[in-house]
Amino acid sequence: MSITTTGNLGPMILQSLAPAMLYVPTPTMNYITVCDKVSMPANGGTTCRFMRPRALQPPTVQLGNSGIDPPAQVPQRDIIDAQMAFFGTGCIINEQVILQDQEGVLAWVSERLAVAMRQAEDLILRDYIVSAASDINAGGGTNGDNPTNLAPSDFSLVATTLDTNNAYKFMSGIEGMDRFGTGPVRSAYFMLTSTELQSDLDNLGGNNTPGPFLSQWNYPTNASALPSEFGSVYNIRILTSSEAPVARASSANNGDVYYNTVLGKQAITHINQDGFSMNLIYRDPYYSGMLAQNATLAVKFAQAQALTQDTAIRNLLSTRFSSLAP
Amino acid sequence: MAEYSRMAKGSFTATGTTQVVPLPFVPDYVELWNYSIIKTAAANKVARAWWDNKLVDGSNNPTMVEIYNNSSAVVFDTIQTNGISTYSAGLSFQFGPQLSIVSITQSATAPLVTTTNVHNLAVGDVVIFMGLYQSATTGMPQMSGIPFAVKTVPSTTTFTIGWNNNGSNYTALTGSPSGAYVKKVLNPFLYEPGVSDIAFITTGTTTTIVTSAPHCLYEGQEVAFRIPSAWGTIELNSLPNFALPGSPVYGYVQSVTDSLTVVVNINSSSYTAFNPNIPFANTGIAPAQMVAVGDLNTGGVAFSGGALYPSPFFPTPSTAAQSKNSINGAAVKGAFVNNTSQGFIIGSGAAAADVSAAVTLIANTNIVYWHAYLHDYAAP
Repeated sequence: MSITTTGNLGPMILQSLAPAMLYVPTPTMNYITVCDKVSMPANGGTTCRFMRPRALQPPTVQLGNSGIDPPAQVPQRDIIDAQMAFFGTGCIINEQVILQDQEGVLAWVSERLAVAMRQAEDLILRDYIVSAASDINAGGGTNGDNPTNLAPSDFSLVATTLDTNNAYKFMSGIEGMDRFGTGPVRSAYFMLTSTELQSDLDNLGGNNTPGPFLSQWNYPTNASALPSEFGSVYNIRILTSSEAPVARASSANNGDVYYNTVLGKQAITHINQDGFSMNLIYRDPYYSGMLAQNATLAVKFAQAQALTQDTAIRNLLSTRFSSLAP
Repeated sequence: MAEYSRMAKGSFTATGTTQVVPLPFVPDYVELWNYSIIKTAAANKVARAWWDNKLVDGSNNPTMVEIYNNSSAVVFDTIQTNGISTYSAGLSFQFGPQLSIVSITQSATAPLVTTTNVHNLAVGDVVIFMGLYQSATTGMPQMSGIPFAVKTVPSTTTFTIGWNNNGSNYTALTGSPSGAYVKKVLNPFLYEPGVSDIAFITTGTTTTIVTSAPHCLYEGQEVAFRIPSAWGTIELNSLPNFALPGSPVYGYVQSVTDSLTVVVNINSSSYTAFNPNIPFANTGIAPAQMVAVGDLNTGGVAFSGGALYPSPFFPTPSTAAQSKNSINGAAVKGAFVNNTSQGFIIGSGAAAADVSAAVTLIANTNIVYWHAYLHDYAAP
């Protein structure tokens, strides 16, 4: 018996490329979601200027019968400036790669550049918020650190602070419905936090109970829930991302410090410049050296950002109660 | 091959033993000439240096130098660590290594920190502390997590910061307490102006604010205060406003005294005194903070030689340690500015073979010329 096997008649081509690319692990980009958006016109200089009028004194003293007008008030305003900055990155791809590679290099590199640009946009906003917004240290938790892990009282405190500052909430509430396991959701600010705190949120009531934490799955309806929304606590709806800012080993007890940004409407404004919100630039090899060997693919964008309502934003700093899996 | 290479050159007059040189790229090769030493020979000084990112010696990426040795003879040497290096300052929360703390003294103005090993810190560097416990109930954890500027560097293992830890709620750290660390914040000024922690407040017809790390504010900057009640001077807070409910109260920076001190036009004569002697065990207490909220300026940084339309510089004022212009163009003074950058750093590391004195790459007043390159082609 002579059996022909792959040992004596092996395949001429050993591999076959699967029909679809594998996904690229990419963090959820929450910071751009909660920004006000403003476009700065072309030929408008380097700096975007915002103006916010100040309140006038309400005339609570009666005029009386003297016939004399009260003194005039002098209107005032606050001015906020933000300088436009430009960003970009790209790849130089030799024509032999394009010619010989068996799948569309230019296509997937274009996609990666676009995602890199969007992620840059979000990371810039993230780090700007860390640098510009004031902090409240969580103090209600029980882990003995400073700041402590998050407790219900910390959510209540920061929402109270923003309410007292007359910040505008993002979301109106969701009325309760007659569905098992659901509960009404209050009108809410957003908190942008780390996915690493999700287990703390699930255990916010202690003893493996969520306490006042309501999972997004337990909302009466998910119609208004954002894709990255993990749940809500009191007047705060929580968006999580793995790219949320964490200062590693920086608490009083050497723990990781999480910057949980809680904000209302117009707290942060993202500014783009006319025609530069995103440019994907492909240059044929024709434009490279005398032998036209290299193509270039690049992205370029302009962005500025400003804290436009400083009273409507706080970084609620916390540590973690539960340990992370390795 | 030069189509995609990057080349840059420049010069500066040194103000110390370190220098940051921002570039539009991260170089893979740097060379520099210390013209002051080439012109006038001096013992234990570097005349020329060059660095390649592919040069690895053990775990070091050394800088090669040509020096005048202790006998003023020209010899070759290396700086094994903290010589020339590159940086890319684009993301926050980048830290240097944790350094163990031997002790921290108590002082009303400038506590002295002693580290176990050489700290490699310079005046103006920003650091944070962790684990400042002498025992379970004593120490100075109130200072943990607050960014501090290094004020002075008396020795390679000591430095001072600006804080009042002389109060009864603080206890000096001694004897290398377990878990007490300090680490350097690598890119502290990526976006400016921003929020600053307050170290001292002097009340009066104007209010003088001293911050723990550079405030990066300009004259005309509009600021708000967030002062928790434990710190005393809560009347500065922008809200609540009892005279006009709901309307935030802001102040304006009247003058910038130095990188840590500004004078704000708020009359605080009748306000509660600032109290840094906060309780030891008050977990959850937030720092007292000053926040930049706007400005009333209409122009950019004034011309003073060099660029006709200078970009903003941070920290302010321009004489502050490590102050440098942003790499973007002109902006209104006090505008929110992106201050990210990349380039190379000339460090304060000393020559490895000639140890008769600390032979550093540059020193105060040296005139230094440099070239930096990023090559298209490198082998390997």
